[in-house]
This record gives sequence, structure tokens and C-alpha cells, in this order.
Amino acid sequence: MSTKKGRFAELKKSMQPRIKEFKFTMSRVRKSPLSLAGLAIVLFNVCIALLAPVIAPPTQYDPFMIPRDEKLGWRYEPTGPSSTHLFGTTSLQVDVFYGCIWGTRFAFILGIEILAVIVIIGVGLGIIAGYYGGVIDEIIMRFTDIILAFPSLILAMAFVAALSRSGWTVLNAVILSIILVGWPGYARLLRSETLRVKSEDYVEAARASGASDLRIMAKHILPNSVYSMIIVLSLDFGTIVLTAAALSFLGLGAPPGYADWGRLIYDSVSWSSSGFRYWWTFTFPGIFIVLFVLGWNLLGDALRDVLDPLYRRK
Amino acid sequence: METENIVEIKDLYLNFYTYDGVVKALDGVTLNIKKNEILGLVGETGCGKSVTSLSALAIVIPPGNIEKGQIVFHASNKNFDILSLDEKDLTKLRGRYISMIFQEPRAALNPVYTVGEQVAEIYFHHRKEEMINKVLTELEEDLKKASGLKRSIYKRDLSLYKKMLENPKSLSLRIYSKIPILRRFQNRMKKVAKKEIIELLKLLNIADPPRVVDMYPHELSGGMAQRVVIAMAIACNPYMLIADEPTTSLDVTVEAQILYQIKELQKKFNTSILYVTHDLGVVAEICDRVAVMYAGSVVELADVMTFFKNPTHPYAQSLLESIPRPGKKFVSIPGTVPSLVNPPKGCRFYDRCKYALEMCPTTKPKLLEVEKGHYVACHLYGE
Amino acid sequence: MGLRDYIIRRILLLIPVMFGVVILIFGLIQLIPVNARVAVFVASGNPKELRPEVIQGLIHEHGLDQPVWVQFTDWLNQMLHGNFGWSEVHNSQVLQDLIIRAPATAEIVIISAPLIIFIGIFLGVISATHRDKPVDHISRVLSILGTSLPSFFFGVILSSIFIAQLRWTTSGRLNFVLEGQLLVDRSQGLYKSYTGFLLIDTLLNGRYNYFVDALAHLILPSVVLVFIQTAVLVRVTRSSMLESLSKTYIVAARAKGLSNKEVVNKHARKNALIPVVTLSGLMVGGMMTGLIITETIFRFPGLGSWAAQSARLFDIPVVVAYAMFSAIVFVLANLIVDILYAYLDPRIRLG
Repeated sequence: MSTKKGRFAELKKSMQPRIKEFKFTMSRVRKSPLSLAGLAIVLFNVCIALLAPVIAPPTQYDPFMIPRDEKLGWRYEPTGPSSTHLFGTTSLQVDVFYGCIWGTRFAFILGIEILAVIVIIGVGLGIIAGYYGGVIDEIIMRFTDIILAFPSLILAMAFVAALSRSGWTVLNAVILSIILVGWPGYARLLRSETLRVKSEDYVEAARASGASDLRIMAKHILPNSVYSMIIVLSLDFGTIVLTAAALSFLGLGAPPGYADWGRLIYDSVSWSSSGFRYWWTFTFPGIFIVLFVLGWNLLGDALRDVLDPLYRRK
Repeated sequence: METENIVEIKDLYLNFYTYDGVVKALDGVTLNIKKNEILGLVGETGCGKSVTSLSALAIVIPPGNIEKGQIVFHASNKNFDILSLDEKDLTKLRGRYISMIFQEPRAALNPVYTVGEQVAEIYFHHRKEEMINKVLTELEEDLKKASGLKRSIYKRDLSLYKKMLENPKSLSLRIYSKIPILRRFQNRMKKVAKKEIIELLKLLNIADPPRVVDMYPHELSGGMAQRVVIAMAIACNPYMLIADEPTTSLDVTVEAQILYQIKELQKKFNTSILYVTHDLGVVAEICDRVAVMYAGSVVELADVMTFFKNPTHPYAQSLLESIPRPGKKFVSIPGTVPSLVNPPKGCRFYDRCKYALEMCPTTKPKLLEVEKGHYVACHLYGE
Repeated sequence: MGLRDYIIRRILLLIPVMFGVVILIFGLIQLIPVNARVAVFVASGNPKELRPEVIQGLIHEHGLDQPVWVQFTDWLNQMLHGNFGWSEVHNSQVLQDLIIRAPATAEIVIISAPLIIFIGIFLGVISATHRDKPVDHISRVLSILGTSLPSFFFGVILSSIFIAQLRWTTSGRLNFVLEGQLLVDRSQGLYKSYTGFLLIDTLLNGRYNYFVDALAHLILPSVVLVFIQTAVLVRVTRSSMLESLSKTYIVAARAKGLSNKEVVNKHARKNALIPVVTLSGLMVGGMMTGLIITETIFRFPGLGSWAAQSARLFDIPVVVAYAMFSAIVFVLANLIVDILYAYLDPRIRLG
């Protein structure tokens, strides 16, 4: 059928089973309280990120630079929560509330940026390695082996230091380093998924009917690996943000005064040595981090329980 | 009281509490296995036959739960109400009075232990005293001939084994069993067990038993693994053997061998067998009586000849009709098994039945005797 | 194939990986401008203080102005002779620093690792065998919390409570006063540092109050490490155990008449522990990572804080040395784990 209307109807019909699967998945998600909690937390975070300009209006050119309170001056000591500063301020009168809210936005932006690149590289190389096998597979796998021979934070740290020493901005170095350290995981995953799908009969059939390699990879292998990828993605989102925060905490991340949770905690370490006196400097950013990572962990876990093909139909 | 039954299952109700609802898997199962007979339990996948057979050992796999019913086991001159026994008594009964063999033999064996280690478990669990006594006789013989260091070692071993009989939980015994070098005193018992195991494996026509004893399950072929599982099951000469589709996963030729083996063993040891299967051919070959299950209850129970000549329940009739034969048109039963989460109130076969009557969807038919030894659960033959 | 052949094969596979590791690190070094790179090759003397001509001389000597492979071979050569460069930040030889600081980190690891393994496996097994009962729920909540709680946040909280507020202990390895005394005594020969392990040395020197103090200082860093790593282990053990318990051979074992205890301990557990053992290798990597943060928070003078401080100040020779050190430890740990795995699972061993 070549009429536009006809093709649309056909497309809708071919989507029917997928829609049904999706509805089934959603009903499973709805039934488990933990997965609902995870979904709720993640959505809550998304809202904060999207509404950041509304909740905490930016005052500087770069909205991610936390505004300082001019009235309180350049006093070093943090001031407690008040009506003007909901979460108080940290060193140099930087507003903690603003930092936490925009920190959420920053976390999402960072996470999406990094994850997008990791997925593109990792998935691409993984499918190629699994599909073509042979020398290409060996080479790609050796690369992943080498990178995976290091604990990831340590290698990331090393690269951030090296890149910063040679002129990169620390933040960009962090992004590149996490990408470098993160793609092998996906390459491995997609490779094993490709090998699994490759041996299925319908791929043989597609090949027999003359489908090109690219077409098979796009139409068969990719969609069938999607489920396990989604699970890993949601768990990873939390991990990546956590890694970036850890690097910030070590001083390798956002510059001072930046809306980044890790940076806020880094600034708070010196104040924590006075006990509870300046509790707001580390408690609020910490809670935001925990909530963020918890949400994605719960969601990833729930998705795993729901999407894992073994558990789907009881 | 002498009965001719060895196990009676009366009105067994079992539910599975799952994410998607309560699955009413067994809906009043009633059947009996007579002494010295092979009873076939047939039905399609999901009709509850495996669950029923496991229940006979009071093994319920979560999220299942037995709601109602009674299972009585008549052994020599005692009666056991299986479902009300406590765990301790059940462990003495399982594997010894009633044993079970499974569908996937290599899956029924633990992959990280050797064949010998796993068969020995039966001996050490159920026939320990026998083993220890054998060791004691052996030790006393050796003690007479020994001298010096060996003598003192044997003396110590002797006291340890005697303690095993009298006070198995003694502290010194526990200490000896845990520490590597001192543990060696157990080697004698292992050797004795090994000899018994080899003899047992020979009984099952397993080639080269001494080699097989040290093999791991994944090294065995399907048929050999199944023989090992059967060996474990008959090691204590049980009153009844439950066979849950033991040949389904095997090649046809191997299946024939195993079936022959089972028949021989039954004749030799007078064991009753509850043979669960979906293959009517097997039923025809080795069973004395057959029970047909559908969606959680027994719909027909008769001896094999009568059943094949004159199947009474509509489902049983359809089953026999649907067996493909050359020249015959392929017939299948229309419709599908009902959902057990919301089962129909009346007869569960109602919506696929050719002869459905008015009362069928509302009242459940009871299993009634239509002629001697022939029971049917169908309103066509009801009150 | 046999265990021996498997081991040999695995060791042989290590070689290309280690070679790749070295190349990767070298690539990393190449990113740095030449003048700064010199520090990696300097055997003594702070590069910051060296005169330009000396630096030029070093550049020439180590081939930094020549093609890549000349540099590479020179660098390998330097390392084989124990020259890992000079730390600008600490003003000392890198290799020396590593050796001096290693025992502190090792002490934390030696105390934490057994705790992680025992508690993790124990809770995981109990959680699985008592599914959906209170124990299960509690340990699941704790383990979800543990995997979501960043170690630095947890550490900062503990630090502010126990060190700052309650003043039960202080940061570092020893109390300020005792530490000072120790240094003085050591310079006077009254205290001999046999191993670098405070817990051992203090006992050997008969200073029992120092021993107690050192132990007290080890508690908080260990707690942070143990809590977070155990959370991961509990989850994996639990799911592995649940899977093991659902296998047919478990039903078969029960049908043989084995008691519940025997079935769980003898049959289910051994199978369940196999993937857990595999994970433990990765956990070593996790511990090293965790140590960086934990040592920094509690100002514990070990390898972790060394690496963190150097990274922050872009002190490349230290970072490079630490990265290679971690890689070697990580790779070795995974090798041991693979061998253990083959030992435990006859299916791998016998092919």
C-alpha cells in the first residue's frame, strides 16, 4: 500500500504487539511498591531539574555558579538556615539551597551527556565486535580488558589529572575521563547480547533473505538487546553521577562556588570538623545525592525484575 | 488394618499465591496407589500432576500452600498422615520409604559434588547404623592383626565409631569431624559406603561403576544420570517410588532401556510406583492402572486395559482420539486450559466438552465409581 | 583440561593485558607537556626547583625530545630500576613514598576484608533462606541504602558525629599526642618500626596503649568501607542463593530426606557461592576506590589519601604510580578469583 493513510494504518498495526508488551510492563511496574518509589523519586528529581530556574532564580551569567549573599559579605563562616537561605550557606556565603537545586539539574545534564557518548561508543563497538567476530572482536576486547584492568575511579582520576595538567578545564577532563572509563562495560554487554541474538533463528532467516549487515544489526540485534541495556542504563545513571560527585569531592571536578553536590560536600569537610555546628553544609547536599542515586537504583532494580525475560511470564 | 493401598490422597487442595493472583492448582485431587502396582498419572503440562506427586512427600514449592486434604501412607503395619508429620519425621521417611526420581536427571544432581558423594548421602542419612557396624567389624579385625602405632590409631577410630552409634552429637566427635587431618577417620566409612554404592550401581546396569563414582554429573550422559538418580531412589528399598516424567528428556532408545529397568526393579523389589507422564504410550507399556488429571483434579481412574478400551470421561476420550496414527486425520481438542486464577465454578473441562450438560458449568462433578475399579468425574455418569 | 592447565592459561593471558596497561599509562603520560613530564623520570630532587638547563638535560637524557618508542623504552627501564619519578607535592621519591604508606592502607584492608566477606555472605544467605521475613526486609533495606549512599557522605557524617561532636577518636592513625611521642621515640631509637603495621609494631614494642589507640583509629574508616562493600555483597549473595534454592537438585535433595539445614548449607550454599566469589575479585577494586575517599576524609596517611592529594594537585608521577599499582593488584585479584572459581566449579575445571 503506498497511500499515506494506508501506511500509517499498517504501522499502527505492526506496533500493536509492542504496545501490548509496554502495557504489560507498566502493569508489572505499578504492582511493586519499590519500583513505584524509585519511579517517584526519579520523577521528583526530573521536576526539580526542569523547574530549577523557577524554584531558585539564577542571578549570575552562568546559572550554575551559585549566588553569594552580598549582604552577608565575604565572611568565611557558613550561616545557618534562614528565611532567605533555606538550607543556609557554606563557605563564602554560597547558598546551599541554590546549590542543591541547580545541582540536580547539573547532575542530569552531566549524566545525560556522559551516558549518551558512552552508549554510542560502547553499543557501537560492542555490536561490531560481536557481529563480525575474528580480529576486530579480539582488538576491541583487548581494549576493554585493558581499561577494565583498572578500578574505574582510579583510572578516571589519573586521566583527569593528566588532562588538567595539559590544559583542559577540570570539568571537561572529568567528562572525558568518565566516558573513557565507562564505555567498555557497555561494549562487553552488547557484545554478549549480539552473540546471543546472532545465533537465533530469525537472524539466520534474515541473512538468508539477503538483509545487509547494517540492517540486521539495526532491526534485529539492537531491539533485542534493548531490555538488558535499559536495566544497566538506569543503574548506571546513578553510578555516573556518583562517580562525578566523588571526583568533585576529591577536588577534581567543578570549580569553587559551582552548583555541584560533590563540590558542596568538599567545601563542607573543613566545617564538619566542628561537629554538628555546621550540619547544613554537608547534610543537604548529601541527602540530595542519596535520593538521586537511590531513585535510579530502585528504578533499575525494578526494571530488572520486570523486564528480565525469564521473570516476565510466570 | 490391612489395606491394599499404599498411599491414599484424599481431596487435596493446593493454591499458589503469586504476583498475578491465587492460582488454584489442585482442586480436590483424590487418588490411591495400591501395593505392588504401577499407577500412571497422566495429564497435560500444568494440570497439576507434578505438584500432586511432590505433595505425596509433603514437599510444597513456595509460593504454594496446601489448603485442605489428607495423604495417608500405609507402611507395613503403620499408617502415616503425611501432611501432619513434622519435618523431622518427614526427613526419615523421604528417600527411605518413599523416594522420587525426576524429569531432568542431570538437573536433579548437584553439579559440584561427585556421583559417589551424592549417593553416599543416602547411605549416611538412612543406613548409617548399618555402615558403622560394618566399619566396626572391619576395625576389630584389623585391630587383631595390627601392632604399634597402627594399633593405637585403630583403637581411637574404634572408640570414635562406637561414639557415633551411641552419642552422635558428642563434642569430641564434632571436633574430629571439622579438623582436616583428624577428619581422616571418616575415610573408612567412606570406603565401606563406596563398596555399597558400586554394588548398587551395578544393579542399575551402569557400566564401570568404580569410574562413575568419581565422576561429576555434567560428565554423565542423560541415561546414565537417570540410572544414578534411580539408584539413589531405590538404595533403601522404598515402599513407593514417585517417578516424575523420568524419561521425557531422554532419547527414545534410552527411554526404552530406562523403562525396562524400572519394570525389572519393580518386579524385583515389589515397589509401588506413581508414574507421572504425559505420554500415553508409556502408560500403555508399563502401568497397571492410570489416573487422568485435568486442570487440577482427577477426571478418570481405571486399570489400563479398561481405560484404553473404554475411556469414559470426555477429556480422556479426546486424548485418545488425538493420538496421531498414520492414515487418520489429525484431531486436536479445541480450546485451551482455563486460567487457574479464576477457574470456572463447575467442571473445568466444560468449555471444551462435546457433551456439556446444563449443570456442568455450575457444579463440579465428583469422582464416582461407574464400574468396579473404574472412576469418572463427569455429570454424564453422575447422580 | 585440569586445574593446572587452566591456571597456566590464565596467567599467560595476563601478559598482553599487563602490557596494554603499561601502554595505556604511557599514553596518559604523553598527554602532558614535555616540561612537566620530566617529573616522572626524575630520580631525586624536586623538578620545580631544578634549573632550566638541568631540566633540558633530563629531557635529552630520557629521550623526551625523541620519538615515542625511545621514551617508552627509557621509561620502562627507569621503572625496572625502581625510579618512578619524583613527587613535586610531597618532595620525595615516588616509590619510597609508596612503600612507606602501604602498611597503613593494608591495615585497613586486613581488618575490613574478612568482616565484609563474613557479614556479607552470612546476611545474604540468611536473607535468602528467610525470604520476605523481617530479617530479609531489614538486610535488603540496608543493602539498598549502602549502594546508594556515597562513601564520602557517609564518612563525613560519621566524622562529624564521632570525631567532631562526640570526640571519641581523632583522624589519622594515632592520637596527636601519641603520634608526636612515637616520632620522637623512633628518632631516639626507643621505638623500632619493624613492619610499618602499627597494630603489630606497637605490640612488639610493648606499647599497649598505643595499640588500643591505633585500633580505635582504624574503626571509623573500616566501618565506612565495610558498610558499603557489604551492601553490595549481600545483594549478590542473596540473589545467587535464591537462584540456587530454586534448582531441581534442591528439591531432589529434600526428597532424599536431607534436613533443611543440610540442604541449605551443603547443597545450595556451595553452588550459590560460586558467582559470589567471582564478585569478590571486583570488590577488591571497589575497596581500593573506597579507600581513596575514606582515607581522605579521616586523614589517614595511606595510599588512598596519597593518590587523592596528588591527583588534586596534578602531581602526575604519583597518580601514574598509583594507577599502575592498583591495576596490578586488581588484575592479580581477578586471577586468584578465576582460579578459585575453577577450583570450586567442576564444570569449568573439567571442561
